[in-house]
Amino acid sequence: MNSETLNTLDSYSKNKYKYGFVTEIDDEKPKKGLNEETIKFISLKKNEPEWMLEWRLKAYSKWKKMKEPKWANLSFPEIDYQDIYYYSAPKGFEKKPKDLSEVDPKLIETYNKLGIPLEEQKVLAGVAVDVVFDSVSVATTYKGELEKLGIIFCSIGEAIQKHPDLIKKYLGSVIPPGDHSFSALNSAVFTDGSFVYIPEGVKCPMELSTYFRINAENTGQFERTLIIADKGSYVSYLEGCTAPKRDDNQLHAANVELIALEGAEIKYSTVQNWYPGDEDGKGGIYNFVTKRGLCAGKNSKISWTQVETGSAITWKYPSCILKGDNSIGEFYSVAITNNFQQADTGTKMTHIGKNTKSKIISKGISLGKSQNTYRGEVSFLRKADKARNYTQCDSLLVGNQCGAHTVPYIDSKNNTAVIEHEASTSKINEDQLYYCRQRGLSHEEAVSLIVNGFCKQVLQELPMEFAVEAQKLVSISLEGSVG
Amino acid sequence: MNIQDKYLKNKKNIFFSENKDIQTHREKLINIFENDGFDKKNNESLKNINLKNFIDFEYRYLISEETSVVNNNQENSYSIVSVNGQCLNFKDDKIEITKILDEDYNDFSKNNTIENNDHFVNLNSLFLNSGFKIVIKKNNNIKIKISNIITDDDLTIFQKNNYICEEGSSLNLIEEYENKNNSTLNILNVIKLEKNSQLNHLLIQDNSLNHSLIITSHSSCKKDSTYTQKVYNFSEGYVRNFHYSELIEANSEADLQGIFFLKDNNTSNNKTFVKHLAEDCKSNQVYKGILNDSSKATYFSNTHVDQVAQKTEGYQLSKGILLSDNASYFSKPELKIYADDVKCSHGSTIGPIDENAIFYLRSRGMSKIAATKILISSFINEELNSIDNEQMSEIIQKKLIRYLSKVK
Repeated sequence: MNSETLNTLDSYSKNKYKYGFVTEIDDEKPKKGLNEETIKFISLKKNEPEWMLEWRLKAYSKWKKMKEPKWANLSFPEIDYQDIYYYSAPKGFEKKPKDLSEVDPKLIETYNKLGIPLEEQKVLAGVAVDVVFDSVSVATTYKGELEKLGIIFCSIGEAIQKHPDLIKKYLGSVIPPGDHSFSALNSAVFTDGSFVYIPEGVKCPMELSTYFRINAENTGQFERTLIIADKGSYVSYLEGCTAPKRDDNQLHAANVELIALEGAEIKYSTVQNWYPGDEDGKGGIYNFVTKRGLCAGKNSKISWTQVETGSAITWKYPSCILKGDNSIGEFYSVAITNNFQQADTGTKMTHIGKNTKSKIISKGISLGKSQNTYRGEVSFLRKADKARNYTQCDSLLVGNQCGAHTVPYIDSKNNTAVIEHEASTSKINEDQLYYCRQRGLSHEEAVSLIVNGFCKQVLQELPMEFAVEAQKLVSISLEGSVG
Repeated sequence: MNIQDKYLKNKKNIFFSENKDIQTHREKLINIFENDGFDKKNNESLKNINLKNFIDFEYRYLISEETSVVNNNQENSYSIVSVNGQCLNFKDDKIEITKILDEDYNDFSKNNTIENNDHFVNLNSLFLNSGFKIVIKKNNNIKIKISNIITDDDLTIFQKNNYICEEGSSLNLIEEYENKNNSTLNILNVIKLEKNSQLNHLLIQDNSLNHSLIITSHSSCKKDSTYTQKVYNFSEGYVRNFHYSELIEANSEADLQGIFFLKDNNTSNNKTFVKHLAEDCKSNQVYKGILNDSSKATYFSNTHVDQVAQKTEGYQLSKGILLSDNASYFSKPELKIYADDVKCSHGSTIGPIDENAIFYLRSRGMSKIAATKILISSFINEELNSIDNEQMSEIIQKKLIRYLSKVK
C-alpha cells in the first residue's frame, strides 16, 4: 500500500462523529440497578395490566439464572447490570402529545440536527414516523390514514393497553424470554418499541418507520418490536438510529419479533449508526440485539436488510425460521467497522418446511483496528425437502491492523436440500484503484466508489427512502475511514 | 471410574509418569476433565460423540509378542510394521527410528495450536503408552510405508509419533490403518519440516465396525517446506481426523485433503486448521464426503492468518453428498484474518447428487444405480488421480468399488 493511501486512511480515521451532541432535557428515572422493584416501577409507570407484570417478572427470574452467551468473537469489560438506569422518560411525557406542536421543541431540534425533520420527512417521503426518544414514544404520525386500512401502528406500550389479545398471543412466541440472557433481560425491562399489525389481505401503502435515539447518559434502551403480518398482507418497516456522543458505555438490548402468516411478506430494513466510541476505543454503544422472524404460513416471506456502521460492539443475528412450506428468508447485510469497533453479526436460517428458500448476502468492511465477524448458521431439518440456500459473504480489509472473520455453521439433515456457501476475503484491488485514479478521481473518491460498488448488492435492497441515506452513510463511515 | 482414578490405577505402564514436568502437565489435564466437565456446547471435539463410550472406556494395554519389523526392501524405501503402537529402534545413514522421549512430549505440550479443550488429545497425553520417532536425515529422498497393527481386542492405545524431516529431505509416507478388532487407537502425529523439506503423507483408513480410530496431527513448516496430506477414510467404525498445520516461516505450504465414505450408522468427525504465521505462504484445505444410510459427519475447517502473514493465499473447500434421507452433514468453514494483503476464500456445498446429471445419464440408457455410481466416482476423481503411487491408487480404487457396491 502506498504512502498516499496510508495518509488518506489516516486522515479519515481522525474524522469526528458527526452526530455527537446532547439534548438537555430533565429526566425522570428510577434508581440504578435491576431488581423486582425496578420492573414493578417500569410496569407501574407504563400503567400495565397485571399479566404483563407477571410476564416480566417471570423473564427476570429466568435472567437471574442465565449467563451471557459467549460464542461471539468480542472482547469487552463485563457489563455491570446494576449500574444502569432501566427507565428514563423525558418529564411530562406520561401524557402523550396529540400532534407535533405539543412535542418538546428541543426534541424536534435534535432530529433536525440529524437531518430528519419530522414534518418535512412526513410530507416528502410519505413516511409515517414513530419516534422513540429515550424509551417513550413521542410522536406518531399518519396514524389516521393507516387506521382506515385497519393497520395498527403504535408503541408497544399502547398495544399492551389496547390490543392485549394480540400481545398475549404473539409476544415472546418467536423469541421466548428464556432464549438467552439478553432476550430474558429485554423481556423483563423493555420500555418501548413499535407494534405493527397488518390485517388480512392489506398491502401497507407506505414504509413504516421508527427512529430510535438514545439520549440520557447510562440509560440502556430496551425496545421491543413486534410485527404481525396477517394472511396475504405486505409491510415494509424501516428502522434507523443515531446516538449522541458519550464517554460511558451504553447498553442496548432490543428484541424484534416478526411473524408472517400465510402468503404474507415482511421487509425489515435497518440503518444503525450509533456512537461507535472515539479513536481510542473509548465509549460507544454496546448493541446486543435479538431479531427473529417466523415464516409461520405457506408462501410467506421475511427479508432483513441491515447497514451497520455504528456501535462499539455489535452483536446481532437477524434470523428466519422457515416453518411454512415454500416460505422464503432473505438476509442482506453491510457491516463497516472502524477504529476499535467490534462487530459479530450474521444470520440464522432454519429450514423446517418443504421447498423453503433462503439467501444470505453479507459484506463486511474492516478498517482501523476493528474486528468484523460474520457468523451465520444455515440448517436444514429432516422434513425440509427440496430446500435451498445460497450464502455469499465477502470481506474487505483496509489496513493491516484490523481483522475480518467468517464463521459459518452449515448443517444438513435432508438429502434433497441443496446448500451453497462461498466466502472470500481480500483487500481493495490495486488495479481498480489505479483505474479510477487514472480517470481523474481522487484517492478518496476512488475508494468510496469501490466500496460502494462492493456493497451495492445489499444497498439496492433498501427502500428508496433509505437507499440514499445509506449510501451517504457508507461514504461518511469511510470518511472516518475511506472516501 | 473417573479419568483420574483410571490414570492413577494404570500409572505404572503409562509413559513418562516419573517425569516431574510431565506429571505437572498431566495434573493440569486431569483438572480440565474434572472441572470443565464435558460441556458439549462450543466444543468441536465433542460434536456427534457418544460421551458415555468416551468417558467410560476400560484402559487396557499389551506389549505384543509379535514384534515390529523394519525392512529396508529397496534403496531409499522402507516398510515398517508397528505393533500396538510400538516400533523397533533402527538406524542407518538415512533414517533413524527410536522410541519417543520425554523431551518430545514436553516439546509438544508447549504448543498451543491445539485447544486445551480437545478432550481426545488430552486423553492421549494422559494415557500415553506407545509411540516412536522417525528422523529423516539431511538431503535424503525416502519412501516409508507404515502398517499399524493392533493384535488384540479391547485394547486402548494412546500413541504419539514424531516425524522430523531435516533440511532438504523429502519423505513419501504411506500409513495404513486396517484393523478388524474392537480396539481404540488414539494417535497423535507431530511432524516437523525443516528448511526446504517435503512430506507427502497418505493415510488409508479402513477399520471394521467396532474399531475406533482417533487421529490427530500437528505439522509445522519452516522456510520453503511443503506438507501434503491425503486422507482416505473407508472405515466402518468411528474415525476422527483432526489435522493442524502451522506455517511458521516464509514460503511454506500446507495442503490438507480428505475424503470420507460413510454408511450405516457410522460417524466421522473431521477438522483441518491452518495457521499462517509468516509471509508468502499457501494453504489448501479440501474435504469431500459421501454419506449413505444413517451416517453423520462433521467437518470444521479453519484458516487463521496472523497480522504478519501478508501475501497469504488460503483456500478451503468442503463438499458433501447425502445419499439417503437419514444422513446428516455439518460443516463450519471458518476464516480468521488479521492481515490485509491476503487472498482467502472458502466454498461449501451440501446436497444430493445432481438430478440433471442423473437424467442425462439415464436418458443414455444407464440404470439409476449405475448413473449414481458414475457420478460419485467423478465427484472424487480429481483427488484419486492426484495420487502418484500406482499401487496405492489401485488399492483405493478397489475400496471405492467395494463402497459403491453397497450403494442402492
